[in-house]
Amino acid sequence: MVKVYLPELGEGIAKATISYWYVEEGATVTEGSELVEISTDKATFNVPAPCSGSVRQIAAHEGDVVEIGSVLAVIEEDTVAEPGEEEAEGA
Amino acid sequence: MADQDLSLRVLNLGTIPYAEAFDLQKKLVEDVACGVSANTLLVCQHPAVITYGRRRGRAHILVSEEEIIRRGVELYQTDRGGDVTYHGPGQAVFYPIFDLKKLGQDLHHYMRMLEEAIVTPLREHFGLNAYRREGLTGVWVGPYKVGFIGIAVKKWVAYHGMSLNVGVDPASFSLIRPCGLDVKVASINDFFSDEVRLETICDMIVEQMAHVFQLEATGGSRQW
Repeated sequence: MVKVYLPELGEGIAKATISYWYVEEGATVTEGSELVEISTDKATFNVPAPCSGSVRQIAAHEGDVVEIGSVLAVIEEDTVAEPGEEEAEGA
Repeated sequence: MADQDLSLRVLNLGTIPYAEAFDLQKKLVEDVACGVSANTLLVCQHPAVITYGRRRGRAHILVSEEEIIRRGVELYQTDRGGDVTYHGPGQAVFYPIFDLKKLGQDLHHYMRMLEEAIVTPLREHFGLNAYRREGLTGVWVGPYKVGFIGIAVKKWVAYHGMSLNVGVDPASFSLIRPCGLDVKVASINDFFSDEVRLETICDMIVEQMAHVFQLEATGGSRQW
């Protein structure tokens, strides 16, 4: 499982608001795709999916104010092994 | 590579519909993010349009959608931060598509720099008491708000940006509660008996943007 965290957004920014989820729990995402939009003051910031897989949990909902470093979502990473690979990465 | 990091491409788009400028920004975000394009500053005006973000929605639009359409004003949901705002003739709009990874990676500091790019020319060239207010993003002259800021960031590339009222019909802002606040809105021309040309202010702000972000402006065609 890969946790998605609210990243550092700048000096003195301790919290941000979840403004929009592009996906729902259970959705399949690809690495780098838009996952969630957060906002602080007059700025929105897009947090991308850190890996390809399926969204197992959405931990903060639209309108929630969350602290930097909080877990926003949990993604179960795709574990399709390349031919010849002994085991898949992740988990 | 180093030259591109320091250069600022300036594109004057003239008057362009909001949706077209938005599409262009989204394309440029991808280009800047992957290093194909230098930091780019779009300068334009829009035909009358009210835009609002996802989070706060239409709550601060004061008239019906029918009335807005009747007045020939467009309505557009967008993905920038901030509340409802108005763009229209007489307003200078600036969309910096900047790679913030190379500019400090700090959302609030970036917005303070945008404010600075408007405040300095208004103070130094026009002698106006322009300033920013703690906790109220934007640019003010006395009790009036003249400059508006709302940004979005994707892949650490900023888009959307700022607008400055130079000679906007004051009735236009009566359709909304700008930024969700009870603020008085004014234009730069309200402070002078002689009209200040929008192009003059735009040139000064472009110059100040290059200075504030320590970039070297390279010109684009002007289509005012």
